[in-house]
Amino acid sequence: MARYGMMIDTRKCVGCFACRVACQMKNTLGPKEGFVHFEFLESGTYPDVSSEAIPMQCMHCADAPCEKVCPTGATYINEAGVVLVDANKCIGCKYCMVACPYSVRMIEEISGVVEKCRFCWDDEMGGPNNPSCVATCIADARVFGDLDDPNSDVAVAIAANDAQPIAGDLTEAKIFYVR
Amino acid sequence: MVWGPMIAVYLFVAGAAAGSYLTASLVSFKYPGGVFTRKAGRIIAPILLAIGLLMLMLDAEAGLRNPLRFLGLFANPRSVMTIGTYIISVFMVVALIVAVLELMGKNVPRALDIVGDIGAICLAGYTGFLLGDSLGVPLWHNSVLPPLFIVSALTSGMAIVSLIGAAFDYVEFEKMGVLRPIHIVLAVLEILLIVALLVIASGRGAAGAESVAMLTTGSLAPAFWIGVVGIGLVLPLAIDLFNMRSTKSEASGEALAQTGVVVGGFLLRFVVVSAGVMMVLL
Repeated sequence: MARYGMMIDTRKCVGCFACRVACQMKNTLGPKEGFVHFEFLESGTYPDVSSEAIPMQCMHCADAPCEKVCPTGATYINEAGVVLVDANKCIGCKYCMVACPYSVRMIEEISGVVEKCRFCWDDEMGGPNNPSCVATCIADARVFGDLDDPNSDVAVAIAANDAQPIAGDLTEAKIFYVR
Repeated sequence: MVWGPMIAVYLFVAGAAAGSYLTASLVSFKYPGGVFTRKAGRIIAPILLAIGLLMLMLDAEAGLRNPLRFLGLFANPRSVMTIGTYIISVFMVVALIVAVLELMGKNVPRALDIVGDIGAICLAGYTGFLLGDSLGVPLWHNSVLPPLFIVSALTSGMAIVSLIGAAFDYVEFEKMGVLRPIHIVLAVLEILLIVALLVIASGRGAAGAESVAMLTTGSLAPAFWIGVVGIGLVLPLAIDLFNMRSTKSEASGEALAQTGVVVGGFLLRFVVVSAGVMMVLL
């Protein structure tokens, strides 16, 4: 079975929010709901300054704090390493939101269930269905695929750029950043 | 923070339920004459916890709409919330049986009471570990919170029980001399633990420092300094120390001190929950 992951190159990201909007469309989220959010980082002192747009979403951690704290087992990690929420088990206690150090989970207003990025996992397909954030990115800042296949685009890109998870090995995250 | 005032109310009443139960146990063991105080503690413990559980269910909206999902709370023993569910289940059953026995005027078997005592200590402590399992929140993710919540649970519960017991039978209440030194020790301990919490959190990066700033100089400073520290700790300590020097205490002063402890106990949970700031990992 594959082990899915993503690489995000913030040097290419322009902060246009196309990924957020594409994700909202695909997952029928409201305008204020989103599985992708942005952090903006400014650094340096005038005149040597730089700014960085950092798209954030579920990191699909192998050592996922949300999965550990979820009392009902609604949050689980599937056989492909994708962290998912079984909406029929979630009571909306928000413990996972408190535990996630990346603040990438949200409450669905209508159901009260906690949701987040699922790498566009499709149960019927038994795999990710063309993640819309990757497909829509205007700058090709995102690469997605099987981390265990050394010839996959994502594995090659991570190796070539020495991409790292945003918080090092804190939670064994599977989104790797080039910065 | 995602968790709001309802969770703070839960943390407070769950702790107070544990403290009430333990106080009643102590009184039944040491002061057989303290009937009203013992009854108060044993009857109010399950009521307080029931109020807390109601808060939890109201806060968990998806479960509120599909109540059967709450059965899933037993499912993941690696979750502190599931462990808490086990603890609550045992303690609630024991506390209810004890309350019913008390209402029927029957003796509570010592063994059952001890099971309740152990459950009460676990109940008071787990609320600290519950917040502690959030590695992104420095104010919560430390080893000071569980003992702080246990100590505050004991003082809050003791104060609620004392208020009711003293209201019904002040003469008998005054004979329970051990409660006052216990409160003094716990209150001093609580002050030390709060200082430790602030020192540890302030050394844990920007989010921890922001939490401490919110508490000490920011939006929560009035609730923290006036409520938690002033009304909840310093005032009751001062009244305690004053009362210890004289042989007779004034009922009004006693009532003021105990009310202060209860108010401070709630505000402690409120400010700790409200001042939880998530680290931004960039």
